[in-house]
Formats: sequence, structure tokens, C-alpha cells
Amino acid sequence: MRIICCMFGDKFNQWHVDNLKHMIDTYSGIKYDSFEVITEDLYGNWYNKLQMYDKFRDDENLYFDLDIVITGKLPNLVRKEFTLLNDTWWREEAHTPLNSSIVSWTGDVSHIWDKFKADDAHYLKKYDKGSDEFYYREVEYQTYDPVCPKFNMDKLDTEYNVCTLGQMHHVMEEGWTGWWNQYFTS
Amino acid sequence: MQSVKTLIAYGESTMLKICTVYFGDLYTPDYVGKLFNSIRRNSSIPFQSVCISDNPNVEADLVLPYNHFSDVKKHWHKLKFFSPNFADQHPGDDIIIMDIDQVITNNVDDLIGHAVGDNELVTYGTWWKSLLDTNGGFYKFKSGSLKFVWDDFIMNPNYWQMHYYINGDVHFKYYGEQNYVNWKIQNYNGKITKTPEEWISKYHTDFSENCILNTMYCDKFDVDYMMLDDVNENIKIVHFTGPGRTIHDYDTSWIREHWK
Repeated sequence: MRIICCMFGDKFNQWHVDNLKHMIDTYSGIKYDSFEVITEDLYGNWYNKLQMYDKFRDDENLYFDLDIVITGKLPNLVRKEFTLLNDTWWREEAHTPLNSSIVSWTGDVSHIWDKFKADDAHYLKKYDKGSDEFYYREVEYQTYDPVCPKFNMDKLDTEYNVCTLGQMHHVMEEGWTGWWNQYFTS
Repeated sequence: MQSVKTLIAYGESTMLKICTVYFGDLYTPDYVGKLFNSIRRNSSIPFQSVCISDNPNVEADLVLPYNHFSDVKKHWHKLKFFSPNFADQHPGDDIIIMDIDQVITNNVDDLIGHAVGDNELVTYGTWWKSLLDTNGGFYKFKSGSLKFVWDDFIMNPNYWQMHYYINGDVHFKYYGEQNYVNWKIQNYNGKITKTPEEWISKYHTDFSENCILNTMYCDKFDVDYMMLDDVNENIKIVHFTGPGRTIHDYDTSWIREHWK
């Protein structure tokens, strides 16, 4: 099984990669064979993530965004079909109900990359709010049952053991303190 | 002069934090140390000095990194201090946010020790025309009591940071932080308390403009001068407000005496 993450641009750096690996290794209970980091910055935005469907065409794959917090043992998140988060159990649908902070598939889903790459300028313009709308409109997908709520600054959610920071990723910066600090690498 | 309730004592578990932001190259790193040093020279109230800075050479008790790659831009970083989760705040702490382009010219115990309650913002009262009730040069509040200022901002920083420019309220991109704070406090029915107007002054590059300001101050407060070789004794702080205005470009006796 392969763990995948993406690091590009200036907002996230090696600390964030190390931090994700630390949380997975220390708290999640996930056993994996390789930890892969995609660093090629082709688009200057999160469409870069789509490269993983081209690069990893076999085996079990589990992708995490760098701005998540893992606080305990996670359920089995590995899926056979292409699967990502549906956030509508905790937020309005907006332009997409989907959230690719956690993604899993087994085998070859390179058709996602092929479709995007064949007309990338068009899709970048059409879905300029982010790649999650591309998935929503253009790709067949499955979604997880509720597994990853949004970050709550005031208290640790002990029911799910993982949450996505979203707009709150600044709490990973020096100077911010709260329940999450104890789970981050130093 | 108006009477002012002054809170001077801070317990062992509570603290006064005076917080600033330094970035870029308009100012020099010594602005931060000079501000904090001059406050300490002119006050008996202990405090912790805090600075968000992109320069490690600033002098403060706690220096936190200014992230140039953040969605948060320029002086909007000041809003972080409204969150009780930032800068090692503890319940009961009093938080002051100050701009660094200010010269302390008299005792500021009544200013930095000004009493403040929950859901209240203490800010400069100004004697010059202003469309806002708040002045971004000085905010004082109870730690966490106005956390909505940060919490609402960070949900959509790109929108708010350009909103007042696009709206025509300000004339420079990324300006409008005090417009946002003003609106947000009012929106949540917060109390805005202004300090006595005669405590604050501002200084201009233009000689004729300074003459006008002097006249206005003298007329309003029935004094002989605002600034000559020295600064009127009622003035505690001179704020070098306005885009691009810097203290180090001036060479006056009162700046040499007080800004060090």
C-alpha cells in the first residue's frame, strides 16, 4: 500500500510532509509500503494533485493533504474504487460537495489524469475554484461515509481521529497553540 | 482633561501583551525596539512585547514569524492577535495591538493601563476628521473576547483584504484593516471606547499642513502649541499616519529626544 501527498509552491514545505508522516506513523495505525511525495509544480495550484493518477497506476493508494490533523487510529480508508470525501454532512454543498483531502483507489485510474491533461487549459478555466469541482463534474467517483470533519479550534473531536484544516491551516504556523499542537511533529 | 479609569495591576496569571507587526522594508527593524523601549521608559506597567516579524533582528520578548506565503497580507496580520490561540495568550490577559510608526512622548500609564471589559475595544480618540470609530494605531481588548474579528476574517481573507479597496473606501490595495475591525465590532454590538483625544497627535511631511494641525489642536484643547521644539505635555503619542510616512525621514529635536 502506498501513501501519497503533494508538496509544491510556497505554502507548504518539508516540515508539513514530515508532519504528515509523523501523524500517520504515530497515531493512525496505517501500515504502508511506501510514502510518496509529488513535488512537480505543473500548474501552480492544486490541480498538481492529479499527477498522482498518472504516476501511480497499481497497488493500493491512499492520498492525504498536508493540512490535516490525525489524532488517533483511523478506520480502513483504502478503497478499490476511486473514492474521496463528501463534506455535505458538515457544510453547504457550494460549487462542489467533494473534498479531495483524502483520496483512495486501487489499480489504474489514469483516465482521470488523461481526461484533464487532454484539455487542461479548458478545465483550469472552467473549474477555477479548484480541482474538486473537476472531480464532481467530470469523473465517476465514490465517497466515504463521514470520516473527516472540519477542524474545530475549540475542542478535539474524538469520534473521527482525523480532521481537515481547510481555511484554518494557519494554525500549523509557529505562534498558534491549542489541542492540535501535541499531535504535530516538533 | 477627562478622567480615566486606569488598571495598573496585573496578577501573576494575567499579563498585558503589547503586540506589533513588522514586515518589508518601509521601516527599519529598530522601529520595534524603539517603540517598546520608549513605552517602558514612559510607563510603570509591566508588559510582554510581541512582534510578528519577517526580520529576526527586531527587539521583542516574543518574536513570531511573518509568513510571506500566507493568504494573510501586510498589516492584516495584526488581526491574528484577536484570536486567543495566538501568541501564547491566556484567559484574562489584556491585549494591545499597536502600529510601530509611533513616537511615545509622555507617560502612557493611563493609555496602556486603560480599563477594558469583555466585548469592548479601547482605541484612540482622534481630534481630526475620521469616518471610523476605531483607529488602527491602538486597539486594547480582553484576550479572546473579540475573537470573532479573526474568526470571521480568516474564513475569507482574500475577500476582506481587497473589499475596502474595491469598494472605494481606501485608495491602496490591502488597506482597510481598521474599516473591517470597525465594522465587525459594530456588527457584533461590541463597545468601542475612545481614549481622550488630546493624548494623540499626528505629524505631517508638509510644513503648511503641520501648521494647520497645530492650529486645530490649539483651538480644540485651548493650549499654546501642539508641537514646537517639543511636544505638548498633554500628548502621549505622535502617530506618523499615512501611506509611506516614516519616522526616520524626519530630524527634529523632539524625535531625537523621544524615539530611541
